[in-house]
Amino acid sequence: MFAVVFAATFLAYSAMNVLGDPLFNVVGFYASVDCDAVLAGEVEDVIGTRPGSTVGECQIVAEAREKYHLNDPLPVRYGRWVGAMAQGDFGESFKNYMPVSTILSERLPKSLLLMGMSVSIGLGVAIPWAVAAAYRANGRLDKASTTGAFGLLSIPGFALGVILFYFFVIRYQIFPSRFVDDDLFSRLRSLFLAALTLGLPLAAIYQRLLRTDLITTLQEDFVITAKAKGLSDRRIMFRHVLRPSLFGTVTVVGLNTAALFSGSIIIEQIFSIPGIGRELYVSVVRDDNPVVLACVVVIVAAFVIINSVVDLLYSYLDPRVRRDT
Amino acid sequence: MTLNTSEPIAVESPPEAADGPDADKVAPRRLGISFWTAIGWILLVSAAALVAPWLPIADPEEIGAGGRLDGPGWDNWFGTDSNGRDMFSRTIWGARVSLMVGLVSILVGFLIGGVVGVVSGYRRGFIDRTLSFIVFVILSFPSLVLFLLIISIVGQGLWVVSLTLSVLVVPSVARLGRAITIAFSEREFVAAARLLGATNRRVMVREILPNVLIPMSVILLLGLGITIVAEGGLAYLGLSVADGFSWGKMIQIGAAPRTLRTAPWAAFFPIGAMFLTVLSLNWVGDRLRQYFDIREQGIGSR
Amino acid sequence: MAGTLLSVQDLKVGFRTEQGVVRAVDGVSFDLEAGQTIGIVGESGSGKTVTAKALMNLLPSYAHVEGTVIFGDRDVFAMAANREKHFWGVEMTMVFQDPMTSLNPVKKVGEQIAESLRVHLKKSRREAFAEAGDLLEQVGIPEPGKRLTQYPHELSGGLRQRVVIAMALACGPRLLIADEPTTALDVTVQKHILDLLDDLRRDRGMAMILITHDLGVVKGRADEIMVMYAGHTMEEAPTATLFSEMRHPYTEALLETIPKIDTPSHTRLVPIPGRPPEVIEIPDGCPFAPRCRYSTARCLTDRPGLTSHGSGHACACHAPVGTPSGSEARAANESAGTTAAGLDMAQFTRKVPVIDFAPPGAEG
Repeated sequence: MFAVVFAATFLAYSAMNVLGDPLFNVVGFYASVDCDAVLAGEVEDVIGTRPGSTVGECQIVAEAREKYHLNDPLPVRYGRWVGAMAQGDFGESFKNYMPVSTILSERLPKSLLLMGMSVSIGLGVAIPWAVAAAYRANGRLDKASTTGAFGLLSIPGFALGVILFYFFVIRYQIFPSRFVDDDLFSRLRSLFLAALTLGLPLAAIYQRLLRTDLITTLQEDFVITAKAKGLSDRRIMFRHVLRPSLFGTVTVVGLNTAALFSGSIIIEQIFSIPGIGRELYVSVVRDDNPVVLACVVVIVAAFVIINSVVDLLYSYLDPRVRRDT
Repeated sequence: MTLNTSEPIAVESPPEAADGPDADKVAPRRLGISFWTAIGWILLVSAAALVAPWLPIADPEEIGAGGRLDGPGWDNWFGTDSNGRDMFSRTIWGARVSLMVGLVSILVGFLIGGVVGVVSGYRRGFIDRTLSFIVFVILSFPSLVLFLLIISIVGQGLWVVSLTLSVLVVPSVARLGRAITIAFSEREFVAAARLLGATNRRVMVREILPNVLIPMSVILLLGLGITIVAEGGLAYLGLSVADGFSWGKMIQIGAAPRTLRTAPWAAFFPIGAMFLTVLSLNWVGDRLRQYFDIREQGIGSR
Repeated sequence: MAGTLLSVQDLKVGFRTEQGVVRAVDGVSFDLEAGQTIGIVGESGSGKTVTAKALMNLLPSYAHVEGTVIFGDRDVFAMAANREKHFWGVEMTMVFQDPMTSLNPVKKVGEQIAESLRVHLKKSRREAFAEAGDLLEQVGIPEPGKRLTQYPHELSGGLRQRVVIAMALACGPRLLIADEPTTALDVTVQKHILDLLDDLRRDRGMAMILITHDLGVVKGRADEIMVMYAGHTMEEAPTATLFSEMRHPYTEALLETIPKIDTPSHTRLVPIPGRPPEVIEIPDGCPFAPRCRYSTARCLTDRPGLTSHGSGHACACHAPVGTPSGSEARAANESAGTTAAGLDMAQFTRKVPVIDFAPPGAEG
């Protein structure tokens, strides 16, 4: 599991530092100047620079190189960065020199709240919907929901966000247009539309999967036994059929988490939510490496953690698996 | 007197894959009229995008083709945007970029993913484990983050964007290719071919590939929908192809708060176009999958 | 009739399919007294399970049911239409064939038994669990307290079937339907389970419908036997009478398929030639005629109705075994070499095998 985190972060780290130049933000144009040559006295003037200032600027560049240990080989730098992270030091933002950990601790909870709400909405809508559809498979409700689910799946997330934003913020002004942080209720309220935007397509995915699994489970013999016991259909659906059918859906919830983070980037933009997604986007555009890397770590770690939770949930749902754990 | 026990009708229904829209239970024999409608729409949009330069429509860049933010009317069928440009023509021109980027991305992804999957499934062992691990790492990376990274570093040309987006599809294609290859390499005709002395590579190309292509075509269609949406998202963030505009970019322009308030159609028309196109692609891909599933029993993505 | 617990009158069950209506059960009638056991015997496809499901309101919605079923003084089908909640699982319960799949794999055994008690008898959780433990003991499961918290996969097939029985008995039903309760079990376990059912029935004064394809199973355990074929009743009689004075050729053939203790070893068993008809293709006339060595031309065109052969003994046949018309028909077929339906009579003779595997000097 940790191998994944390392691999992913190493990938990101290398990408940022090899493909781009981390110094660009700090020293601007001069990062691309061959300062080694300048300082060695080989080159006097560089095109585009103010005459006479080149050497001075290059000295700043050399100092920056030292300060950020940029002369060390890549794996060493990576190792140093990991070591610092393990101690909770995520470095400072290149742009405003704020400690990254502060930024994270401000923004992460909001994103997590948003995602929690989205998954809750997704499952909360999907479960009754799937049960109703599977109960009378191929009935009118089922066929209508197939079409409905299809539509929800086909609409791009940001488009849905824009539509919801238009109707519920601009046109009818039911929800606030930006994040309000006063108390839990106003936070939930501010996040609701965004959660809906993320959650409804999730609900469509979950519903289709769950419905199929429910129908498969309904073919099992123990369902007939339950009916022979004279139990009501509702009881059978919710207490006997649902639990064994949830496996596939639970896996998808886990796998979708990465996608949720992606989606939240755009959604947080649309609804002006100061969460980690928005921070990530802004930082990438600004080449603010420490922030970007920290966000990547958090996101990948979240993915790994959630998948582990999913595994645990498996053993709760299926006692046959429990034996081996 | 009939008993109505409301027990659901027993129907064969194999468990579905976790990606893509799921198939309905009993696959119909015919493809259905909605299928052909969807195909029609796709062809219409593609054709319009293809011949756009020769269509008798307004210049999409021409400022002042109508008033600013005019509503839909006889002069401008879809209205105008904040720069007075004709929305109808822009929608058609936007299709060019959206479709092109989507298509290139999917083809590249298909190619890479196909090779990775088939090799992985046929060779098994260390290669398989390594490739699977890499795929898993990619899956755990939020795709948009990856895109942001690459594009902000390398630039916003057509090929960069397409290549980047192809990453979206590679894991699914690879996974499917691998599973199908494994299922097939157990079958008799592969063993027979090997007995006759065919080399590994020969077997892969001549025996396995043809049977792999049908389900992959379905993924191609569904994946195209995904890449179009992904490109739209990138464009919305301003990170897609720099020159030219796609539907996503139009949505970004149209969704600016003031524009949105007074002229919602500037955003809604490109949204509608994208939605209908993606819907059609999903529909066609899904129907095809049902249709072929009945024949090819046992070939699933599990 | 006083004392009659269950009265089934002209039960018919049809299924709507793409190819037409399938008549799974075509006019079955029988009565069952309180505390009695009736055995329903037949091959697969004979309609015996469908009959049971019709009584238990377990048929799918595309089934079409006709006829009348009276339980005590209540109309069962009317109750079904009214969605009566506390009848099935309470007064009338069912045990199914395969214990490996009959239980919910993700629920504890105790919970599954207690569920009926809580839903139907409104008992509290504690009471219900305590009673579940008692029930487990009654069905002969050792260490009942421990078993209550176990999952089905932790028990063997025989134990699971006992649990299923305990579940069925929880609310004290007056009628238990057992559909092939031992078919999926080891031979050694089969007898135990059947004995268990017998004991429980006697202790509780419960009536039972025992469904099986094996005449041997019902021989010592049923008061009355009904033989079904292709959805029809072929013969119905008190047990002793059925075995000593069987009338229907099908019953006779079934009896011959049971290996007897004094049959020499290595004797080839004689199956009934042919297969049961596809349910769609049931021909005119007697459904068994194509496989019957007593068949006459009339059998192929005229469906025989149930005729009485003594008190409580009915048979649906034109040429019943042991009657003059029957013997005639059989003799005619034997001399002709084929039956009226074109079946080669040679298939009916018992053959001794050519190869003897016993080494010289050993017992054959």
